[in-house]
Amino acid sequence: MTNPILPAPFTDLAPLAAHWARPSENERSEIRWSASADDFKALYEAMMPRLDDILALLSQHPATDMPEEVRNLFLLACAFAEASPHHELYRGSSAVPYSFDARRFVRTDGDVAL
Amino acid sequence: MMTTGMTAADLAHTARSSEDIRHELGVDPVSVRSIRDPAIYELEREKIFKKTWLKVATSWELPKVGDYKVKELAVANASVLIVRGKDGQIRAFHNVCTHRGNKVVPTTGFETFGRSRANVVTCRFHGWVFSTDGPLRSVPMKERFGKLDSACLGLREIHCDIWEGFVFINFDAEPAQSLTEYLGDFGKLFSGYPYEESTTAFRYSTVLNCNWKVAHYAFSEGYHVPTIHAGSLPGFQGIEHTDFKLMGPHASSTIYGAGMDTAPSTLAFASMLSTTERHRPRPDQLPPAINPERRADFQFELPNLFPNFIIHLASGCGYPGMSFFTHQFWPLDHGRTLWEGINYFRPAQTAAEQVAQQHVNALHRNAWLEDTATMEDTFSGIMSGTIDEMQLMDQEFLIRHAARTLDTFLAA
Ligand code: FES
Ligand SMILES: [Fe+2]
Repeated sequence: MTNPILPAPFTDLAPLAAHWARPSENERSEIRWSASADDFKALYEAMMPRLDDILALLSQHPATDMPEEVRNLFLLACAFAEASPHHELYRGSSAVPYSFDARRFVRTDGDVAL
Repeated sequence: MMTTGMTAADLAHTARSSEDIRHELGVDPVSVRSIRDPAIYELEREKIFKKTWLKVATSWELPKVGDYKVKELAVANASVLIVRGKDGQIRAFHNVCTHRGNKVVPTTGFETFGRSRANVVTCRFHGWVFSTDGPLRSVPMKERFGKLDSACLGLREIHCDIWEGFVFINFDAEPAQSLTEYLGDFGKLFSGYPYEESTTAFRYSTVLNCNWKVAHYAFSEGYHVPTIHAGSLPGFQGIEHTDFKLMGPHASSTIYGAGMDTAPSTLAFASMLSTTERHRPRPDQLPPAINPERRADFQFELPNLFPNFIIHLASGCGYPGMSFFTHQFWPLDHGRTLWEGINYFRPAQTAAEQVAQQHVNALHRNAWLEDTATMEDTFSGIMSGTIDEMQLMDQEFLIRHAARTLDTFLAA
């Protein structure tokens, strides 16, 4: 995937966005399920120190209808929002420890793309 | 509104201490026979699922005239069409064509959503057309039927009523109680919260190879939180599961606690939500008899609406920004269950709020993955015949109460 465009000052996150940012939960889950502890760590270390700034920028846009580069950042932030527990709580495991098979959990509302 | 003038004191008679519970429900182990015995399941279908009021939809899922939802309910051998008619009223019908029995609305999976454009639904087999309020509207080649009493060939209606925006049906031809009577004190306890404002729903389902009560019971107690949820809710210690209430076939209780050891990302998302008016903790919006002292460490209410529905009312106090979440347990057969879990939020206004909700939803979904991990093993264990009874502590009283209620219904 070619690197998506991101708003300044977050343009350097483009390679991460290329890997992680996807519009639907199911697509993001597929990426998360195949991630390694190092993948989670890299995402976390790039995103966590800038999370407040990212949220501040995203606070200026309605949840629907964003310019394309903001939407790319938004989708990366969604991927981070779902991935951060794997680094913070699950020791880098791509599955929730001692859990039911996440693939059997169905997002029943048709997994509407964001 | 039903709550007008309602105070916590009006529901004081539902309150029970642990001592009261021990005295009233006993302390003996509870038999697992109703989980193990397939014959009991057949009785449950007839005496519970075809007799009691069952939640099947919410009014805000069907906001516009013509909006419909079809629910496949194997427990009643039924496909149920729930539809908002031209007059704005929500009704329920058997999704069965009165011509020869085809499904009027074709379905995929357990739930199908759609909208009828002209306030009609048309059976694809031979083209019979029904109004969304029931009557048979038109029949192709009608003159070629030697006899056709079309006035009596509308969709077969199912009793349907709405409480606080939750749509319930009752398969009984003549329900013994109205929905309001059936809900009783439960309806009073939980009414008055603006449920309908929380139109953002994250919905999950899975089919579990277990009896429906195994799944239901696993979500009916807080005893498991420090152990099963050690991964997703680490340090969720010192939770206080209290304020027990008994309300006929229904029961409730409250989880207080300091909450989780908040990880840095959760803290960032939570503080963002807690500074917005629409997502901040709103203990003031709780109905008066839930967390009556308005304790700041309130997490959520943990009830059982018999037979198969749970509304965890949180009002933003537990999981950050989460308004409430629900569970429902639909038997598919004796040893298979459709579980449905839904997280409800007020709609995100900004992209940042949406991201924060994704995080909270993901944490909770992960906790559900920890909960569901136990269910198939528990059922296998019970089916092995190794244990004949469950040992139940005070904070598993919802299970004790539900098991007793089940026996009462089966004996009726
Ligand atoms: S079965 Fe529906 S039109 Fe014939
Ligand atoms: Fe749990």
